[in-house]
Amino acid sequence: MKKVEQNAKKHTPVVRRKLRMAIYDFHVRAFGEEMARVNHLPLADRRRYIGEMVDHATRKGVKSDKPALGVTP
Amino acid sequence: MPFSYAELEEFYEGLVARARRRGIACAITSGMACVAFGVSAATKDCDLLCSPDSAGELLSLLGEAALGGRLPNYRGNLTPPLDARWFRGGWTSHFLWPPAGSGAYLDIFGVAPRSSSPWESEIQGFYASPHTVAEMKRTNRDKDWPFVTALGARMIEMGDERGWLHIYDENLLHAFGDTAKYSAHLFKRRPILELAANNDPRLRPALRAEVEYWHELDRVRMSVYENAVRQYMVEVRKSRLPPSAGLPDQHNLRVRCAEKYLPISPLRDYGVDRMISETRETLAQIIHPDAMGWLPDVHEHFKLLSA
Repeated sequence: MKKVEQNAKKHTPVVRRKLRMAIYDFHVRAFGEEMARVNHLPLADRRRYIGEMVDHATRKGVKSDKPALGVTP
Repeated sequence: MPFSYAELEEFYEGLVARARRRGIACAITSGMACVAFGVSAATKDCDLLCSPDSAGELLSLLGEAALGGRLPNYRGNLTPPLDARWFRGGWTSHFLWPPAGSGAYLDIFGVAPRSSSPWESEIQGFYASPHTVAEMKRTNRDKDWPFVTALGARMIEMGDERGWLHIYDENLLHAFGDTAKYSAHLFKRRPILELAANNDPRLRPALRAEVEYWHELDRVRMSVYENAVRQYMVEVRKSRLPPSAGLPDQHNLRVRCAEKYLPISPLRDYGVDRMISETRETLAQIIHPDAMGWLPDVHEHFKLLSA
């Protein structure tokens, strides 16, 4: 295995800002305001938020397991 | 008490770390990888890619990987054995650390569905790359598609122009097109990018056709595997093991049943060309002919399964 090379083309700060605004706008449209905010949290905070959400759902009896079909979509 | 999300995450990452120390190539994918890449997915299940050549070693590791003092079992009668032969053919093995409902669920793939390049060539920490995860998410489930676009957007932001292959949101294609440039060679892999680049009004119907194409491809692929697994499922169900049977006994039973009744590579047997041509025929009945002309060549997404 090899790690992904840092072959990132450098965006200028202006381009980077525009890209980030467009991405945030997409997240709001696709996932809603709250999850857009969560998706842009630092990783540790995002994991904590998802963990609390999933654990709360589990306590309330929500099942999350998928059928075992031998093949996955 | 059910295991918490944090406990399960730690367990799965620990499993990957132990596997790699033994030389097993593996990486977490799907929902948990999405969370790591900035797209939140509320799942406690773990999907793991493992090199088919390491299937046996991974099975040994699972056999000693206790969670809460309990070892895993194969899950369900449809689950193929964790064996290199069926792994190479695109099957998924499912495992459960009991108790059912509140334990840990692990699904293991050998070949990433729809992946155009070996997932082992790109790893990011515990996870498969966003490119692999995005290709795997081109499913027949509507809920997966915003994740594909979000992963593609992240790739573009990070300077990986393959992200353009994953943007399925018209507004975002336009917004990015006004800001970031990409190489013309991507047009060949994804023809509709030319429509996006030219602000062509045919983009919207072509984009919808492209999503529908992937939906239909996945529907046909799933039906091929579902048809292929039936006899095997009957035999596994008939061959009841005592509840105390451990993972090695469960595995041996499944290998015996699979050797008799489970085709190793159903999609290769069915034919990738046949699957694609049937998909296009179905699509032609619901999609405008102009939009059909902008569909991508998807052969490269199935070459790893038909090799």
